[in-house]
Amino acid sequence: MKGQETARTKMCSMVKKFQKSRNEDCRDGISVLQGRKPGGSSSRCNFGRRSVPYERSGRGLLPSHFQEDGGNWMRDVREDPRVRYTPYARELNERRGKWRGSRQVLITMCRDPQSRERKMEEDTQDRRVESWFKITIPFGRKYDKAWLMNLIQSHCSVFFSPVDFHYINNRALFFVQDARIASKIKHVRNKIYDEEKRKISIFVTPSVVPYSVKNKFTPEQMEQLKFIMKKRYDGSQQALNLRKLRFDPDLMGHQIEMILNRGNCMVATLQIIESNFPELLSLNLGNNRLYQLDGLANIVEKAPQVKILNLSKNELKSICELDKVKGLKLEELWLQGNPFCSKFPDQSAYVSAIRNCFPKLLRLDGQELSPPIFINVDAPGLITPSQESYKGSETMKNLVLQFLKEYYLIYDYGDRQGLLNAYHNEACFSLAIPLNPEDLDSSNLREYFKYSRNMKKLKDPNLRRQLLKYTKRDIVDSLSMLPKTQHDCNNFVVDMWLQRKTMLCFSVNGVFKEIQGTSQGGVHAFTRTFIATPGSSSCLYIVNDQLFVRDARPDEIQSAFSVPMATPCSSSMPTLSQEHQRMVQAFSLQSGMKPEWSQKCLEDNGWNYTRAGQIFTMLQTQDKIPAEAFKQMP
Amino acid sequence: MGDKPIWEQIGSSFIQHYYQLFDNDRSQLGAIYIDASCLTWEGQQFQGKAAIVEKLSSLPFQKIQHNITAQDHQPTPDSCIISMVVGQLKADEDPIMGFHQMFLLKNINDAWVCTNDMFRLALHNFG
Repeated sequence: MKGQETARTKMCSMVKKFQKSRNEDCRDGISVLQGRKPGGSSSRCNFGRRSVPYERSGRGLLPSHFQEDGGNWMRDVREDPRVRYTPYARELNERRGKWRGSRQVLITMCRDPQSRERKMEEDTQDRRVESWFKITIPFGRKYDKAWLMNLIQSHCSVFFSPVDFHYINNRALFFVQDARIASKIKHVRNKIYDEEKRKISIFVTPSVVPYSVKNKFTPEQMEQLKFIMKKRYDGSQQALNLRKLRFDPDLMGHQIEMILNRGNCMVATLQIIESNFPELLSLNLGNNRLYQLDGLANIVEKAPQVKILNLSKNELKSICELDKVKGLKLEELWLQGNPFCSKFPDQSAYVSAIRNCFPKLLRLDGQELSPPIFINVDAPGLITPSQESYKGSETMKNLVLQFLKEYYLIYDYGDRQGLLNAYHNEACFSLAIPLNPEDLDSSNLREYFKYSRNMKKLKDPNLRRQLLKYTKRDIVDSLSMLPKTQHDCNNFVVDMWLQRKTMLCFSVNGVFKEIQGTSQGGVHAFTRTFIATPGSSSCLYIVNDQLFVRDARPDEIQSAFSVPMATPCSSSMPTLSQEHQRMVQAFSLQSGMKPEWSQKCLEDNGWNYTRAGQIFTMLQTQDKIPAEAFKQMP
Repeated sequence: MGDKPIWEQIGSSFIQHYYQLFDNDRSQLGAIYIDASCLTWEGQQFQGKAAIVEKLSSLPFQKIQHNITAQDHQPTPDSCIISMVVGQLKADEDPIMGFHQMFLLKNINDAWVCTNDMFRLALHNFG
């Protein structure tokens, strides 16, 4: 017996070579092992001993290493590795005598892989009656259920319907009833690959009746449940309130335990919803101690119209649970009171994460959410060339022009931090200048160069990533770092080249002057492209912003600023310089105060815009600014 | 895959492909547009693959050469890509002119097509 230790290790390396080809025709014998680690599956060694309820097959558990994939079977190579997972251990054990001796294992492996399969099939057929089989996919957790089922089904010649599909740790499991089906599934085992071209292995073992089948509700219980659910249904709102369902007095009176965490309870509930409330819009599952939403995995089929879902005050510990109901087109969601809600650094992170799951969500925990930028891209008919709709939507054109006017007012004269409200939360910004690093010193554009994200020249991926500014906070911070400018707003050429209901693309071409820094007085030409989405009250939120800056040509410089900029400012102080006038306008826009008051504030602070802004904010929070200072809201 | 985000990869290869086609035989450009595409050429709009190809083919030059000096790509929220190009072009024997072009790319049935295209010469028009 002790000698087997050394024999075993010798075996490990030799047999490893065969491991890959064990399911193929391995008559040629030697093939190189790929990717299998010997003994690298220690975490799986409890595989056979777990989930006791299902393994009480009364036939004696196979030793765990029989059920392993990977290298563990090498622990005891006396047993034929090919039959290691057969459920019919008893029969095999009787035949064990034959397989003793390592060499014989090799020989039998090599020589006749087919006969063993046949033998297993025969055994299988004997046990047709009343037998359930558990199908396990190790590491199945990472696969989507529908995809996995489709994959297996497509390789399987018979149609089957998986029962009780669920995930435990890393594994995916389900049950099938027919031994024939089980054996067919077993055949699929090494013929299927995942998207990374890795083989997906499947284990088939006999099992007891699955939980949900065993604990299925009786027809009487179903009737009772239906009656109670009907009482809780509000037909006018198409809403079903299943809050605290377990403690419903009627249910308790009939001794029906509706613990919704349990598969059978949720299945029964969904079944009743499907048959009796197909038009269901709102479902309240709050206060049911739900810690997982596996039971709702098929809610999209059973209650497809649900738009309002209340899962508040449950025990959900991870936002990943919401992935299971992702198929619902939710407009309203209640999640407060679940443990995972407090795991976010702040409210906006929480909201973003939820919106990632449900892009069309309008209300979360009772709060209206800012306009979603999800655009229905499946409706190409919505793409209208701006020319046709130009005539029809002068409002869009005016909206854009007004937007640009205000934008550049703040950009040039105001504190660029004020542009925060012009951007969407998840906006992108980048700037590029068509300049060679060698020409840098002689160019007026050098201040911009460090922010320039010209893909043609910039090869460093990290820098590329960094220079694409994402989120409005980052964008506005980087805009504030760009040199101060003065744009020739009267001579903008604006191209509106895409208009959809929820998206607007326009480009602005023009020139601007640098009014600060080493390149002061230099005139540059620019093209800035915006993609924006209209929000409430006819304001635009920028979603993409791209700026190209280049040197202006002499003729452009000459004609720039030739038309004095009209000053629609209502200030009655004509002695103010043009720049100061613009500052007043910008300040008035941002603060909401009338121009006279804005001017006073700026004057008092020596025309230091930022400081004036700070003083204003401070006074406002201290309520020291009289109401008459503010403009009337239209 | 790789360290380049996908929008940069797609954007760069699209741009390369586009200008290669344009310079060699611009009547072949139809393949990258769809019937819902819209071209804004110097302020004029053309909708649909056929109209676009007609406009591009009818441009009054025989030879054309583009040279890209800068390009940038950004992803848009609806999983499209916006690609921006600035460069120079030379048509026939005319002097070199700067131009600016913008493409909005969308993935339809596993192929990236251009749904919007905007072209402007880098001239400053004073109205």
